[in-house]
Amino acid sequence: MKFLTKINRNYLFLFSLVLVILSITGYFVLKSIILDSTKESLAARSVLIKKQIEETNVIPELKPLIEVVELKEPFREKKQFNQVSYFNPAEKENEIYLEYAENIQIKNKVYQIKIREASVESEDLELSIAIPIFTLLLAAFAISYFITKRLNKTTWNIFEHNLKQIENFDFRKNTEIQLRSSNIDEFDRLNTVVHNLTDKLKRDFLSLKEFTENASHEIQSPLAIASLNLEEILQLELKEEPFKKVVAAIHAIKRLSALNQNLLLLTKIENNQFAATGFIVLNELIQRKIDEFEPLFRERNSTVTFTSQSGFEVKMNPQLAEILLNNLLSNAVNHNFKNGYVNIKADQNELTFCNTGLASVLDNETIFNRFVKGDSKSHGLGLAIVKQICDTHQLKIHYAHNELHCFTINHVM
Amino acid sequence: MKILIIEDEIELLIAIGNYLTRENYICELAETFSKASEKTAVYEYDIILLDITLPDGNGLELLKTIKKYNSKAGIIILSAKNSLDDKITGLDQGADDYITKPFQLSELNSRIRALLRRRNYAGSNSVVFNEISIDTDSKSVTINDQQITLTKKEYDILLFLIINPNRVLTKEAIAEHLWEDNIDLADTYDFIYTHLNNIRKKIKAAGGAEYIKTLYGMGYKFTDQ
Repeated sequence: MKFLTKINRNYLFLFSLVLVILSITGYFVLKSIILDSTKESLAARSVLIKKQIEETNVIPELKPLIEVVELKEPFREKKQFNQVSYFNPAEKENEIYLEYAENIQIKNKVYQIKIREASVESEDLELSIAIPIFTLLLAAFAISYFITKRLNKTTWNIFEHNLKQIENFDFRKNTEIQLRSSNIDEFDRLNTVVHNLTDKLKRDFLSLKEFTENASHEIQSPLAIASLNLEEILQLELKEEPFKKVVAAIHAIKRLSALNQNLLLLTKIENNQFAATGFIVLNELIQRKIDEFEPLFRERNSTVTFTSQSGFEVKMNPQLAEILLNNLLSNAVNHNFKNGYVNIKADQNELTFCNTGLASVLDNETIFNRFVKGDSKSHGLGLAIVKQICDTHQLKIHYAHNELHCFTINHVM
Repeated sequence: MKILIIEDEIELLIAIGNYLTRENYICELAETFSKASEKTAVYEYDIILLDITLPDGNGLELLKTIKKYNSKAGIIILSAKNSLDDKITGLDQGADDYITKPFQLSELNSRIRALLRRRNYAGSNSVVFNEISIDTDSKSVTINDQQITLTKKEYDILLFLIINPNRVLTKEAIAEHLWEDNIDLADTYDFIYTHLNNIRKKIKAAGGAEYIKTLYGMGYKFTDQ
């Protein structure tokens, strides 16, 4: 959920809650105010009536609103409010009235004044006040909600922009991350942190890259010197034993050099130093690689079949794609026997390399580890490189053995 | 044929220089960036071998100077880095080839010859060894004016041998020449053996002499001595 949506949702929820509570309390406060003022007005009217009786001796009568009865009993102080039900013949129904009853004494006569006011009327009044208040509150909240939403949007715009910058940041490219500054302390603090982190990331990446390349250089140069000198010694008229020793030494240097190159390659793949330039369909490349390997297959009397239903597409650096296929094909050649065969299948979701080979089942867990060698004389890094390439390109590789040794590559969904 | 070798490892520089001099090239050596840029600005070369990592400058920078003053020279980058970035940048900026250390001198020689052929250097399109002659344009091999048919790999091997006559070549060097570093193959020796036998047979059938000498089962030498 987006931050703003979350905030707005909470805002709406809280506002509705507050609105309901305010409206209910408002209603009751209003109701009690109206009740009080009705009571006051009834008491005031009672005073007026008393005064009228004193002055004019006329007993007013206006049923059901005003009712004065003479009491045949001694005066007893009484002032009280009641709710009474009174039948209204005009509307033919009972109506609720608020009744004020007071005993008064005028010239030795005792009267009871009963003044009534229909409470329905006051309820109508309450409603007619409550509704506008509720509407006003609602309007105020709505306006404030939209204003806040609007303001949030402009404030968070900068944040959104910076977030996008961070998302698109690629430390392999030598571009600075461009963060917009705002006047908001928290955002600016975040920017500083992000700047520091990306700088560190870039520095580390560069130094690692430099280190691997320098290491390569430093190791390859002496190897080159040793190899060239041995090659020159080989040109002398050597007897069989020294000749074989020199060849063995050259061979060892070659292996060391290949090992070095492959370890560096692994590190580079791990560091994502091979930026993918775009999507490539592997099928065409597979066909070209098969042609390249063809003399080797023919030599072993092996056959290669390549069936492709549709293109297997990956986003990968072309050089890496080539290394991937080289290693898989080399593996299929190295662990095959004479008159064997290799089946390669490709479709949209899956790429499978199957080859005949020794019956021993290899372990799916350890087969991709570094320096795990089968029966071949290879350095044991080929499949580790394949695995590493798959891992860094949202691909999954799986080994299975049933008659054939099969390597299957899938897209990770 | 004038070659300038730019390489900061003195031992390597001398080894390459000695070898190419024996191969009848006129060699000049430069072990620093400044020396190299001086030479390339003043003299003309047919081939320049360029190491990218020099102590006082980047070889790729030098490439620009070379292209400016020595535009006719063919450039082969010698690099310890099997780095694709450098390779692409190098080739983009006008280098003709890229060879990764450690390399065999016979391989270097073969690359130089291939480069000369690509640049249509006079007479470079035919390679002759006694009665065997190879036309590199049409990729055809004739023995005593009689054409023989070779597979692509056989042709590649024969050309490699003839370009490096009287030189001991290990099976490994030949395999590497055929596939470069691309293929991680544990065992291509049988392959080389079979192919060399085929070449021998085909040359013999066309009346050619036996020039391919096997050395203790581990190396080969193309020689008439």
